[in-house]
Amino acid sequence: MGKGGVGKSTSTALNALYLARKGYDVVIVSLDPAHNQADIFQKPLSNRAERVAPNLRVVEVDQDYWVKRYLKGIHDQINSTYRYLTSFNLEKYFKVIKHSPGLEEHALILAFEEAKRKFAKCDFLVFDMAPTAISLKFFSLPSLSLVWIDHLAALREEVIEKRELITKIKVMSKEIETDKVLSKIGELREQHTVLKERFQDSGKTKINLVLNPDELSLAESKRISAGLDEVGINVTEVVVNKDWQGACLDQIEEEFKGVPIFRIPWSSTPLVGEDALVQFLQEHQDRMEDQAQQIIGQ
Amino acid sequence: MEFWRIGEEVGRGKAVGALESELEEMENIFGVLVLGSFVGMPSPPMQISLDLMPHMEKELILMMEKVDTANEPISRLFSTFDIG
Repeated sequence: MGKGGVGKSTSTALNALYLARKGYDVVIVSLDPAHNQADIFQKPLSNRAERVAPNLRVVEVDQDYWVKRYLKGIHDQINSTYRYLTSFNLEKYFKVIKHSPGLEEHALILAFEEAKRKFAKCDFLVFDMAPTAISLKFFSLPSLSLVWIDHLAALREEVIEKRELITKIKVMSKEIETDKVLSKIGELREQHTVLKERFQDSGKTKINLVLNPDELSLAESKRISAGLDEVGINVTEVVVNKDWQGACLDQIEEEFKGVPIFRIPWSSTPLVGEDALVQFLQEHQDRMEDQAQQIIGQ
Repeated sequence: MEFWRIGEEVGRGKAVGALESELEEMENIFGVLVLGSFVGMPSPPMQISLDLMPHMEKELILMMEKVDTANEPISRLFSTFDIG
């Protein structure tokens, strides 16, 4: 992840292509609504995995599709579970709700989980993230949701306790009827806890923070790192893209002390198309090999 | 025996009356917290509300009834405490 325009997509493509050329099965999943992988690989891409090179496939997640799919699922559940409110007109609410804050990042979470399931057997699953704001919301959504879930669970348990007390007095027996709402809250708690722990486990989720060696990029990268830190997520590696000597590098090294730093040199030719990418990889073989060993070894 | 049975039932009904009102309010609060955005109040992340919505028909009906009786809070209060 990183500030818009620093080269997240390009560095993703370079690393993925290098690993694919070494024989690993690699899938890039673009979670950036403004997809760039199609422009980089000069091939049309979609919501389905498309092969762009030997051992390398790319998926461009369609956020609207995931929002619609999610809302349809909820709508279908309501139609099957509601007994009295069959005429409750949800259609007009859902037209507005699909633009609600929070649904965007939730759609990306759903796409992320689907990609994990679908590509479980590949060697490397690389996510090309959206710019800072959406990415930070994406990573903090499980933690934020758990705060609400815990409060709702506590209140619901009090409701159930009162209900059971009333039943006991009225009917003189304690009927324990499963509360579907509490069961669902339990389900949500488990899902979000698993996701939160996955994000926080640097063995399972490696966050590469991409920046350029300039003040603005470094400033935003500090904010990204702080934002991730608030939800217990660490930056695994810093990728300095369009690297040139002397510009801000000391500050970057100081700011991210202890974090491996990988430098991708500036390219005078546009890194567009497989041929251009492969040529770049060959010209900087040593650096790319070091980076690959870092990824493989982790 | 019938007299005692009826008396007992009446007693139980009165005993739980206040509890039932309290329960109704708590269920209403829960409904407002989860589904409050449908009636203009702050709510949890939208996906939590939506995920729970299929299981909360009762709360939604209760909220809609509350909206209907909002114009007559005094009569509702009197009814709860069995006044008049």
